[in-house]
Amino acid sequence: MDNAQPALELQDLHKNFPSDGGRLNAVDGIDLAVDPGEIVALLGPNGAGKTTTIDMALGLTVPTSGTVSVFGRRPQEAVRAGRVSALLQTGGLLRDLTVHETVLAIASLHGVKSRVEEVMEATDTARLARRKVVKCSGGEQQRLKFALALLPDPDVLILDEPTAGMDVNARRDFWATMRQDATEGRTVIFATHYLEEAENFAQRIVLMNAGKIIADGSTSSVRALAAGRTVAATLQAHGTIDAGDPRLAELRALDSVTDLQVNGPRVSITTTDSDAVARHLLNGGQGTELEISAPSLENAFVQMTRTSTTPSDADHVGA
Amino acid sequence: MNATFVRIDLTRQLRDVMNLMFVLVLPTLMYVIFGLSFSYANESAGNGNVKFYIMASMAAYGASVAATTVTGVSAVEQMQGWGRQIGLTPLRPAGFVAGKAVVALVVTAMAIAVVFVVGALTGAHAEHGWMWAATFAIALAGSILFALFGYAVAMLFKSESAMGIASGLLVVLSFLGNVFVPLSGTLLDVARFTPMYGFVGLVRWPILEGTQSGSTQVDPLWALIANVVAWLLIFGIAAVLAVRRGRARR
Repeated sequence: MDNAQPALELQDLHKNFPSDGGRLNAVDGIDLAVDPGEIVALLGPNGAGKTTTIDMALGLTVPTSGTVSVFGRRPQEAVRAGRVSALLQTGGLLRDLTVHETVLAIASLHGVKSRVEEVMEATDTARLARRKVVKCSGGEQQRLKFALALLPDPDVLILDEPTAGMDVNARRDFWATMRQDATEGRTVIFATHYLEEAENFAQRIVLMNAGKIIADGSTSSVRALAAGRTVAATLQAHGTIDAGDPRLAELRALDSVTDLQVNGPRVSITTTDSDAVARHLLNGGQGTELEISAPSLENAFVQMTRTSTTPSDADHVGA
Repeated sequence: MNATFVRIDLTRQLRDVMNLMFVLVLPTLMYVIFGLSFSYANESAGNGNVKFYIMASMAAYGASVAATTVTGVSAVEQMQGWGRQIGLTPLRPAGFVAGKAVVALVVTAMAIAVVFVVGALTGAHAEHGWMWAATFAIALAGSILFALFGYAVAMLFKSESAMGIASGLLVVLSFLGNVFVPLSGTLLDVARFTPMYGFVGLVRWPILEGTQSGSTQVDPLWALIANVVAWLLIFGIAAVLAVRRGRARR
């Protein structure tokens, strides 16, 4: 048993591609170790390097430099042994195969034809069995890809934007299935740009931007990286607040205010002292319908991806 | 290579009705039209009768369409990302290619067989039984040429319409290659250098041994083989270059 090995280990991983006039650093030096049984969210805007990192973890892309290993082995070996599997964002399905044929074909390549029924039941694709893939909705195709990922009963499951194309209900169902299926010990790494998914399902969040890891820690500690809370209030009845409105200048002048956004008749203020701002708005600033929000992952995300360019080391916070 | 996987792939190819029209029905139909409805049909041609000669020609055409389509389709599916899905399984590239080769051979063999069966039932005749087997085998083996052709076209045009382009090209090449209608004069001289010419000449060798119906010239065996080898190299290199170009584009 190789339980002493990390489920996934990336060391000084780089991947660049030729692009107009030079090379594009898709992954620009990342270090990551995921232990067996962890549930990790890879969070980051489009272009952050999540998919490229995942491709390297699966052996679909060769790193430019650095190492990647799954349970101490080369990714391709781990894939062949069925220890790691994935739901890919850009992996295709064959249009004119039926759902059942697709599952059966992949199952037979893994040597697990006996698992076809239970996997299709678990992912609610059994009732789509005879439908051609091209006739399935985006969400149904995602469920099919999920079924394919579960077939080899992998120790590490990697999901790249697993709920892309799903409506709210389908998304809820998907995470419910994940919770049911999450057998003890299965390592799950999922890439998403839905912050609430990361918050609700992951124990650990790795924040990526521009090919680097800019934060890595438990959900609560990453959230705490966001300085302060948001206070939102309505300043006028209709229309959009004028940029020259003196009340905006007053608000900006408050010591604790770090950011201010106008949304139509409402203003959204990021501050480290929400009480002071609230008092100001209620006492003389003519603000109404106040909303004060708890420190959120969204704030952390926005702040860090807006300002981070090349941090010397990632903010490693205690887990 | 995996039996269930190959079976599913084969079933899928055969379900494509549009394809079947070109691969199975069209060659047979053309045999019926060209081979049966004219008075010269029962005249002798080389070591058999004209019907056999036409049957062999149409079977060669059918084989080329079958081989082109199967490999072309597999190239397109790679482009649509199925290759990445397969990349998550233990199937190695060699096993994948072997599986595709089996599917291509089966479909091609079916294309030839259908025409042969209709030919046999309608009086196509050859002097010796082995000539049927030899013609069949040569058509099947020679279809590799068009497997490469199909792959190169699919990788170059990179879309579903690539198959339509390939099929269209095959029709043109077949006319130019002396497959459907006997050519003569300058057209025949030019035809000698087209891809279908060598292939269909070899398929007809057991019957005609290089003689023509449109002229008195005889093609020596080495000339036909040279044509096939040359086009094998050309299509093979084109396929490899197209794959490289496709991979480099990220």
